[in-house]
Amino acid sequence: MAFIKLNDLEIEVEDGTNIVEAAREQGIEVPHYCYHAGLSRPANCRMCLVEPYGPIPGAPPGTIGPARQLATGCTLTVRSAPPERKLEDKYDAIVRTDSPRVIKAREDILEFLLVHHPLDCPVCDQAGECDLQDFSYRHGHDKSRYLEVKNVPPKKDLGPDVLLYSTRCIVCTRCIRFCDEVSGSGELGLINRGSHDEIDIPRSHEGTPIQLLDNKLAGNVVDICPVGALISKDFLFKSRPWFMEKTNSVCSGCSVGCNVTVEYKADGLYRIKPRFHEDINQHWMCDDGRLGYHYVNSDDRLQLPLKKVDDELSTTQWADALTLITEKLSEVEENDVVVIGSAQATNEDNFVLQQFAHDVLKTTQLGLFGQQLGEEHKYPQFTIEADKNPNTAGARTILGSANGNVVLEGEALWEKVAGAKVVYLVSGAPDRPLEDAEREALEKVEFLIVQDVLPSAVTELADVVLPGTTFAEKDGTFTNSTGWVQRIRKTVDPPGEAQADWEITQQLAKRLGGEIDYHFAGEIAIAISENVEGYGDATHQNIGDTGVKLD
Amino acid sequence: MVQEKRILYEHLDVPNINTFDVFRQHEGYTRFEKAIAEFQPEELAQMVWDAGLKGRGGAGFSTGEKWSFVPRDIEPRYLCCNADESEPGTFSNRYVLEKNPHLLIEGILICCYAMGIETTYVYIRGEFTLGKKMLDAAIKEAYEQGYLGENVRDTGLNINIYSHPGAGAYICGEETGLIESLEGKRGQPRNKPPFPAVQGVFMKPTVVQNVETLCNLPFIVGNGVEWYTQMGRTYGDTRFDPPKADPNTGTKLYCISGDVNEPGVYELELGLTCTELIEVAGGLRGEEVKAVIPGGSSAPILTHYELDTRLDFTSLTLAKSMLGSGGIIVMNETRNIVDCLLNIMKFYAHESCGQCTPCRWGTPWVRDIVQRIADGEGRQTTITRPKFGVTESGRWGDTGETEEIYEDLDLLENVANNIANVDTMTWNTICVFGIAVSWPAVSYLRKFRPEFEAAIRDSKLVTLSVAEATVPPEENYAYQQRFIPKEFAEIQETTED
Repeated sequence: MAFIKLNDLEIEVEDGTNIVEAAREQGIEVPHYCYHAGLSRPANCRMCLVEPYGPIPGAPPGTIGPARQLATGCTLTVRSAPPERKLEDKYDAIVRTDSPRVIKAREDILEFLLVHHPLDCPVCDQAGECDLQDFSYRHGHDKSRYLEVKNVPPKKDLGPDVLLYSTRCIVCTRCIRFCDEVSGSGELGLINRGSHDEIDIPRSHEGTPIQLLDNKLAGNVVDICPVGALISKDFLFKSRPWFMEKTNSVCSGCSVGCNVTVEYKADGLYRIKPRFHEDINQHWMCDDGRLGYHYVNSDDRLQLPLKKVDDELSTTQWADALTLITEKLSEVEENDVVVIGSAQATNEDNFVLQQFAHDVLKTTQLGLFGQQLGEEHKYPQFTIEADKNPNTAGARTILGSANGNVVLEGEALWEKVAGAKVVYLVSGAPDRPLEDAEREALEKVEFLIVQDVLPSAVTELADVVLPGTTFAEKDGTFTNSTGWVQRIRKTVDPPGEAQADWEITQQLAKRLGGEIDYHFAGEIAIAISENVEGYGDATHQNIGDTGVKLD
Repeated sequence: MVQEKRILYEHLDVPNINTFDVFRQHEGYTRFEKAIAEFQPEELAQMVWDAGLKGRGGAGFSTGEKWSFVPRDIEPRYLCCNADESEPGTFSNRYVLEKNPHLLIEGILICCYAMGIETTYVYIRGEFTLGKKMLDAAIKEAYEQGYLGENVRDTGLNINIYSHPGAGAYICGEETGLIESLEGKRGQPRNKPPFPAVQGVFMKPTVVQNVETLCNLPFIVGNGVEWYTQMGRTYGDTRFDPPKADPNTGTKLYCISGDVNEPGVYELELGLTCTELIEVAGGLRGEEVKAVIPGGSSAPILTHYELDTRLDFTSLTLAKSMLGSGGIIVMNETRNIVDCLLNIMKFYAHESCGQCTPCRWGTPWVRDIVQRIADGEGRQTTITRPKFGVTESGRWGDTGETEEIYEDLDLLENVANNIANVDTMTWNTICVFGIAVSWPAVSYLRKFRPEFEAAIRDSKLVTLSVAEATVPPEENYAYQQRFIPKEFAEIQETTED
């Protein structure tokens, strides 16, 4: 630990912390553009200049004064110094971020940054969350002294989801460093020199792109761009940032479980951005997760229960659908029922489902509808997992948690399904295709109950379809592949009369005389923490925004 | 009349000195052999320090001191020879490369032996095609003669030299920019610290030396420290108690161009005055000296009041200028200072590497302001508000004068100082390119302000007479720190009393 004096505060920080981070912990803003905690530090924006103190050359020993040169706060790291090099006999470093020289330097740098900036904030997507705007407001001049003609480099289409408004670019090179260091794909680079510096992808002499910015992490360059230069085509002109609500959640795209912030309005989701988690996703997320939210807003979402009449699915009322199911379930023997949980559903959904199967239907053989395998993508500092379900690990544990429960997967499950009369299947995976064996098995089922969010391959075969909810419409927890239990939170209301999966299951249980009575997801999480081995700490209160790691 | 003192250039005119045999006849490689036979590597490094050799590339940093920063326990270490001579007004290294490349190789060998280095990169300016050809031929010959390669002359040393051409960027003459370029990256300077002595080429300890510095080494080894320190001057640095010696020893290759009768490279002892130097170069072409640029285009200008300034590292630093690379440009009364500044600023705006903010966008801005003034579109306001001062009746009040404000001149000075402040010698940029821009801009403006004002007032470039154009020293802050340093021997005498 290093003991430093920052302005007038005496603070202790970890060895190797830089001044920008040390100040941030104290609530002191050191403005910066090129520095990003997840990337290397070229110190090229010169915005984070601070004033370090040290011995004055030529003066009597022990005299401390400001150094001749200001230093960049991002590269100025502090560490514990040997006793003879302590300043004023106790400090490892003395730094000021508020001296007149520092304040003037910030003003000067901001003036240079705005020299060629088009100041088109009214039509810029970044306005409202733009570092250039914010720091200009807090640290800059109110007038420009620049009379000359501004540079107008062209707008560029860099890849499937990324646009570059070169005029707004301040050449901090965060995006270039991201492509070099995190994604390792190196698509971006600088062309030209000096004030004509531009970010670009490799192009032929005629200007046709040789390589597009199309790696699966490309969307992150939009997040890290401190100004409005890199813009997501998906979000372009959709909304002003300040009109959107923001809720912390977890990405449901794969079993990594990236921490995200879901941004939404009453009419649906608008954007998903990564949220820092040191052990899971650092600052990043992949484009599959980032752009995979559109199905939540889809017009095709199931809003009412469906019932098969004359081989056609038609809408019906909840009471009607539930009565029909209850009748069927009470008729059959316990061995003829298969309850299948979902790796897309939360731990809470699966726990209630498991209770329903074990306590009410008295069946111990449960299924897990998972196995949605995609491609694994490995990058130098990020991995997109092959398992496209967010909660495979959690569902497996929770479904098998009660006494004597066996969780069937793969062929064993479909054999069992083929011999069953009633199957209650919770899906929630709208894109999952059905393999031939699975389809055959499901077709043989006498009465198939499916809970899903969108019309899919399984709903086509169903006798009754119950409308469930997506990750954005309910509370709950996911367990990722490395054993982190993390919370998802409700953002928007479910469409129509759709309900959370555990609520549907609970209603069925009640109709069949079961004693399952939960009121909200947090209550189920407490039940999980009491009943499931390893989940002792995993209550919603403990999980918070950072998650709980299972033993 | 001062005479040339040819040491580095002594055999420059010998026919075929670029070949090994002729070079060998003129003591070639004997100094290297002497170094190996008589000295340990550490002794050699100490010798260079004692000789007071200062880096000839521009910064004038003590070579021996620089070598002492290189950790000798980290392998491999590299030597990087900076032959990217790109400062406007400088052309001395080029002749060494083209005419006497074996001298450079001998210097490299001595440095490699002293620092335990096995690999040397010579980064040659891309435009020096002939220089590179000659050097490559010389390197080939040296390999054939066993002075390079494995087990050099049966001494057990392995020394290799690779020559690498630049691609024409000014900034690649900056040592860390050069290293980045050498590593195959964009030529952009690195943040310091770490300095190249600790983390240089491929993040290993690296000695970066100018061609001229390395060429001095054979003579220090061959003739001894005492012989070397007799050339030039040694000043006393009175900031220390007792005063420390500040050596400016040896010779310097002065590249004299501009309005002199015989421009060219002259090898002279350090510490001659501007007047003497102009004399050596065949005298002034024209009536009178208007200005002298003492160290390449980035150095602050000297006026005709300052012609007694000695052209060595210490004196010029105290005169708030620098010797830099020794490119001296003399201007006579026909030259327009605004035009000169515009020329220089066009160069720097073009050569800014664009890595850090102040330089990337400040440098072209400074150029644009100067361009506007030169085009006669500079802004000027005559302010009619009362100017307060002591009135004729001897009391405070409105003096009845109006104030003329040259907004663009204030803006020019302010913007240049925001890139790098020449008064406090601090810069907000990554490398010293920032100060190379603001130094000329601010010094030209402060010392020749009447000419800038005339350009704005008359809406066109006006060349004033030397007396009219120059601001006298007593009126100008830019001269203030200027005094002539005392020689070390004198100071020692007075302190001993």
